[in-house]
Amino acid sequence: MATVQVRLPGLLAQIMGGTKEVIVEADTLQGAVGQLLADFPALKVHLYDESGRMRPHINLFYNDTNIRWLSSPDVPVLDGDRLTVMQAVSGG
Amino acid sequence: MGVTLAVGTEKGAYLLRSDEARRNWGLEGPLFKGWRVTTFGEAGDGTHLLATASNWFGSALHRSSDLKEWTQIVDGPAWPEGGDRKLTQIWTLTRAGDILFAGVDEAGLFRSDDHGQTWQPVDGLNEHPTRAAWQPGLGGLAAHRVVVDWADPNRIWVAISAVGVFRTDDGGATWVTKNAGVQRTVDEEELDDIGYCVHCIVQDPADANRLYRQEHRGVFRTDDGGDGWVRIEDGLAAAFGFPITVDRETGRLFVVPLESDENRLPVDGAFRVYRSDDRGDSWSVSGTGHPDAATFTAVLRGAMDTDQRKGIYLGTTAGKVITTADAGEAWTTLPWTLPRILSVRVMQA
Repeated sequence: MATVQVRLPGLLAQIMGGTKEVIVEADTLQGAVGQLLADFPALKVHLYDESGRMRPHINLFYNDTNIRWLSSPDVPVLDGDRLTVMQAVSGG
Repeated sequence: MGVTLAVGTEKGAYLLRSDEARRNWGLEGPLFKGWRVTTFGEAGDGTHLLATASNWFGSALHRSSDLKEWTQIVDGPAWPEGGDRKLTQIWTLTRAGDILFAGVDEAGLFRSDDHGQTWQPVDGLNEHPTRAAWQPGLGGLAAHRVVVDWADPNRIWVAISAVGVFRTDDGGATWVTKNAGVQRTVDEEELDDIGYCVHCIVQDPADANRLYRQEHRGVFRTDDGGDGWVRIEDGLAAAFGFPITVDRETGRLFVVPLESDENRLPVDGAFRVYRSDDRGDSWSVSGTGHPDAATFTAVLRGAMDTDQRKGIYLGTTAGKVITTADAGEAWTTLPWTLPRILSVRVMQA
């Protein structure tokens, strides 16, 4: 399995005890996200709403690619890949 | 014994701890810096609860044994996955013995029988026959007040903004609207006893059938458990407002009037707490210590609480905390300026 580094924004890091980076092991991107939520189940409500979709102002980047742009999350991951939770802050 | 106040704001929570006389205070925080903190509660097992919300990250419930270190509750109140309802904020946490209730936006009531670890929807209210006609007001569509009868825990009142007050007499299985005598804000004939914009309700500590109601349309009292409501506004500068509370030791009622639903500001900038010593039949300005200078700020519905021994505590939308230790004879504005205050709660700590 590959080792994937997950980065979290400051607000979520607070509820993770101040941890901004965690490591998950998985074979695929989908597996990495699943492992992240299995290891840290408190994150789920913050990333996904009741419809099961990712919250509108949350972006999850796989390396430099927004996973919304992928046709499927079932892609293999490699050691050193990054998964970044980004908060899309807008407004003046 | 001193008092610990938990203050929830648009940007974090703050703790204010007093000395025994409740005159000198210290500030701790912020906790959950950057998060909106909507309410607090006691779990009944010695731990404390706190609810956060965020425009980006949704709402969650957290637990602490010392008000310092917090752990998120994974299985907090939540609407079913795959449904249309979104839980955006938890506005009230109410304990009755070993049972906890959470009132939320989008409007609904949840119950926990394990000190807040897991929660179940109260379908009798959440799927009420009038549900399809519930519409949000300016503050959302929120179940924001839960009052469990101190004389009979099977009798519960829930206030839902822009909808009205509901009562159950069977522990939550069935619910009936209780708004007779109150003027609607949504005046459509086809609505079946809903469309009332209740802002706050509180039960009288001396008479279980008596409740007080700060409503969009004014201030009301019921002497029969909500079957009928009458106006109690004599002496108030204005009838509009958000919070209402009653001190158990004195029976004294408190409100903070605001000029009209359009303006929502103290009349002529005169920020005043009003009190009543006769169950709302008459009101007067509560003691001394109000700001001399024009003060255009408000107190939201969750931002006033009492320690039930003459201590009344309120937080303003301008971030000021105002206290009295003598049931409103003298008020003191504490020196700190916090973010916009959403909730003030006397904690058991």
